[in-house]
Amino acid sequence: MTIRLIGYSFSGIVMRVIICLKELCIPYELDPPASYKSLKDEDYIANKHPFGKIPVLFDGDFKITESRAICRYLASKYQGKHNDTILIPNNIHKARLVDQFISYELSYYDPPLSKLIYQEKVIKSLNRDQDPEVIKQAHEELAKVLDVFEKLLEGKEYLNGEYSLADLFLCPSTYYVYDAGHSDLWDNRPNVKKWWNRLYNRDAVKKSFEDTKSFWESNPKF
Amino acid sequence: MTIRLIGYSASYPTLRVIICLKELGLPYELEPPASYQSLKDEDFIANKHPFGKMPVLFDGDFRITESRAICRYLASKYQGKHNDIILIPKDVHKAGLVDQFISYELSYYDPPLSKLVYQEKFAKKFFNKDPDPEIIKQAHEELAKVLDVYEKLLEGKEYLNGEYSLADLVLCPGTNYVYGAGHSDLWDNRPNVKNWWSRLCNRDANKKSFEEIKSFWENN
Repeated sequence: MTIRLIGYSFSGIVMRVIICLKELCIPYELDPPASYKSLKDEDYIANKHPFGKIPVLFDGDFKITESRAICRYLASKYQGKHNDTILIPNNIHKARLVDQFISYELSYYDPPLSKLIYQEKVIKSLNRDQDPEVIKQAHEELAKVLDVFEKLLEGKEYLNGEYSLADLFLCPSTYYVYDAGHSDLWDNRPNVKKWWNRLYNRDAVKKSFEDTKSFWESNPKF
Repeated sequence: MTIRLIGYSASYPTLRVIICLKELGLPYELEPPASYQSLKDEDFIANKHPFGKMPVLFDGDFRITESRAICRYLASKYQGKHNDIILIPKDVHKAGLVDQFISYELSYYDPPLSKLVYQEKFAKKFFNKDPDPEIIKQAHEELAKVLDVYEKLLEGKEYLNGEYSLADLVLCPGTNYVYGAGHSDLWDNRPNVKNWWSRLCNRDANKKSFEEIKSFWENN
């Protein structure tokens, strides 16, 4: 039975799961909800996500929510089955360092990045005024985080040496912010720049970004 | 070689790891940093935590940071070795759901909880700031809505994923603080949540850890 993924492909959070499915060569069907409002319907909350969010993944009868948990599940169950891509190393020490880097992404990288996405993508599309002070602060906060990442990536191709979920998770949001006038944050740091180029050029990542690009071109004011 | 844990037992991310170590029957040494300020020293940042945070755990030469990642490591490596406690199920579907519930804790439960922990426990004592009643009120209301969802999630279950797991453990320290700081109604007014919190409070590892913290606060 094919995997069913409920969500919008242009949502950075859903894109994490899409990239993961593509990396592991797992076929899936994307099932976009009727609208963002429908996520708060009683039926959705009872049968899909108790907090009314996307994505939600069905693997046969098994339902799982929350993008990072979904990706961990897909990696645990399917990695190595359709191709050689390993997203969570088998060695315990390496695997838990991947968890550590995922936590860095969650705790330090994502907060300023999300603020920038909100200002640069969401507010703009709602035709409201951006807040330059918030943008400036978030940009500066992210700069400090990327200074740390510059050191973490010294002598490494990816955060944990080899490509893993830790790199995958930050691809969608990075893509959005990089493209929205903040590319200097990554381009001004040699290790970070090379790392982002490597990520950007992975087939699964490229394909997912292309799908999203055509969505935004057809729906600039979504 | 004994596990070395760098952190303050009163800081609830460190307390998460302490509870995990106790649950798994693992001996460890707690090493409090000289001060919060020392976390920003060049040496700490270079050799302990690149973002200047705690806790940090050393298992022999292996170093790992970030409390939930540390707990996952300890469970993966040691669960079942010293006792029967299983924190991450072996079955891939059950383990996936434990990850899902850890994500609910991170995304929905912890944000209002941590605001209340800061306002009620740390603001005045450590930072000489008066608690902000508006923030407390908003966080209390936000946490109430989250606990309404947890009330349904716990229907017919003793723990979030049926059996006790990391998903329950990770929220114990912060809950203990906020429950004891005048917000117990949030848990006590919801029958499933109340029973679940009672069960958690009565676990040996939690009881011991909460006792240790109590004496910290009484002396400071």
